[in-house]
Amino acid sequence: MMLFAIFLKEWLKVRWVWLGLSVLHLGMLLYLYLVLRHQFRVEHSEMIWYWAFELRRLLYEPIQSLPLISGVLIAAAQFGPEMIGGRFRLSLHLPLRGDLLVWSWVAFGALMGAVLALLDALALYWIVGQWFPHEAAVSAVRTALPWLLGGWIGYFGATLALLEPAASRRLIYLGLSAAFLALLFQHRGYQEYDQVLPMLIAIALLFIPAVILPAHRYRHRS
Amino acid sequence: MTARLARWSLLLLTIFLLAVWWPLLKDLLFEYRYGKTDLFYSPVIERFVYKELLGEGHQFIYRDQDGTDYDRETFEALIPFIYYKNMELWGRLPLRLAGQTFDKAQIQAERQVLELEPVELPGHAPRIQLFPLLEANPGRARLRFPEDIMRPGDRLTFINSDANRIDPELTRVFTAALTEAGFAWPVQASFGRVSILKAFDAGYFLLDRTGDLFQLRRVDGAPEVTPVPLPDGLAVRHLKVAENKRGDSLGLILSEDDRLFLLAQDEDRRTAAELIPLALPGYDPDTMELKILFNPLYRTAIYSDQREITAVAMDRQFEPIARYSRTMAMAEPRLVDRVWEALVPFSLDLHDPNGRYLRLSLDVHGPLALPAIGVALIIAWLLLWRRGLRLLNIAPSLLLVALTGLYGLIAVALITPETPQGSAGADRRLGRAPVPGQANA
Repeated sequence: MMLFAIFLKEWLKVRWVWLGLSVLHLGMLLYLYLVLRHQFRVEHSEMIWYWAFELRRLLYEPIQSLPLISGVLIAAAQFGPEMIGGRFRLSLHLPLRGDLLVWSWVAFGALMGAVLALLDALALYWIVGQWFPHEAAVSAVRTALPWLLGGWIGYFGATLALLEPAASRRLIYLGLSAAFLALLFQHRGYQEYDQVLPMLIAIALLFIPAVILPAHRYRHRS
Repeated sequence: MTARLARWSLLLLTIFLLAVWWPLLKDLLFEYRYGKTDLFYSPVIERFVYKELLGEGHQFIYRDQDGTDYDRETFEALIPFIYYKNMELWGRLPLRLAGQTFDKAQIQAERQVLELEPVELPGHAPRIQLFPLLEANPGRARLRFPEDIMRPGDRLTFINSDANRIDPELTRVFTAALTEAGFAWPVQASFGRVSILKAFDAGYFLLDRTGDLFQLRRVDGAPEVTPVPLPDGLAVRHLKVAENKRGDSLGLILSEDDRLFLLAQDEDRRTAAELIPLALPGYDPDTMELKILFNPLYRTAIYSDQREITAVAMDRQFEPIARYSRTMAMAEPRLVDRVWEALVPFSLDLHDPNGRYLRLSLDVHGPLALPAIGVALIIAWLLLWRRGLRLLNIAPSLLLVALTGLYGLIAVALITPETPQGSAGADRRLGRAPVPGQANA
């Protein structure tokens, strides 16, 4: 019941931002659809396939920053209001362990982000599959996986920075998140993260326990 | 407890990111453009000659294998088949070498370069397994891409690119032609050169389930299948197709045991003929770039990793006549490389020089990094001690610094230990005594 109440509160906080992001995602996916359609109308199909398969040109790059933007905005919607007027301190007085409370918040936020990520992945598969064979659609989704992981890093980086009471530490968290994010956009073609991605995902999971630290510092400092 | 877990997660994350960015940062700050040594076999002095960049700017040397230095013009005159346009400009054509005379047209007709790089090998780069099978007899001046693409698998499927749908007729005809030629399905590997900017189209080479190799061309819209005669026991790992005007070879075949063969061409039919073995001692295809230079007198195979370069000069029948190896100037460690390595005990390399896949390759720097670890430990201890923490509490952090050196020190300095009442440093600044034993070091 408590968990339901927490999730309800989080939903009330993020709903408008999340709905806005859903519209943004659908808009960008529609844009991608139109860009590809346009491409196949003005160019010979076999040349576009040559660019895509042999020259490794990524025709779906317009959506690469979308997960990152979404992660940051969901975190801002969740934790921005908490940091205004000491509301976070009130929340920490709920009859629930502080760490479990923070984890339930980020679980909700991550879930909201995951829904958008799933939408992106499915839509990307479908859109690319309209003009390319199945292999290329699978390849597009695999190529986009590090971008989706960028959403996770953006969400947790923003969460750490927002919950953190000290300005200098906030900068450290933002720096760490930026350093991680920069590792996810080093591609020069498709599927270059196929081998390294499991390791990067495993390391990105460290953000889950890490997010307790700023809450702990907030509770014991302010 | 969870605060301690949280801090340690952030410490590990910080150390990981520092270890990945450390080599990237060095490349950004101190990257140099040395490049590899240019090594040739001179038909004039019948010695190996090379050009090498020794340092910043334009510190080139032009030298032969015996250590004799040359000026640039003399050096170019030693390899006149490479610089034949300069020879023409300088009025040195036709060339007279080995009792023969070579004019510009002869040189042009005999020149060729075959290359094989590690990144081209299967498994070294992602590749969507869809390939255009060009019309080999286009009936016009240049080749063009077909409106369909070939999907090798349990059969040879053709997909029309306009409709993005399978073409059942092409699929049936080409699959049947291969089956009739004795192809054992499914296709194990496909090799070809996806380009229309080439002299002609040799089609695709398909490896079948049993390891037999077949050349498939599309001639006047119909399949033409030619079995490639492989020597007994040869398992094909890779085939680099390189159609060229010279017309005596179709490319290079690499075997699973890293032997290299030239795939000869049946000149009249543009199809594969026999395999010519190339004796290249020490050649490692996974780490070495290979070039084979053809000129009217010799064939020279040159192969190098990031350190050693080797050249084997061969006669026109590919019989070795001379060999030379040297450590390249770019392999000489610079002071900045040594200092950079000594500062940290290890680093993680994200980029693979021999492939397109990103990876996290651990590079351990060894005992060279021990002094820096010692300094990092002292600084870390001072830093934590100043925060009023006891040795027992800071021991895990110090152990981390002992294992990770400067990375650990930076991580510990950035993510300092917490106490339940706020940081010990804050207590100290407020003039209160820190609570012993309560730090989450």
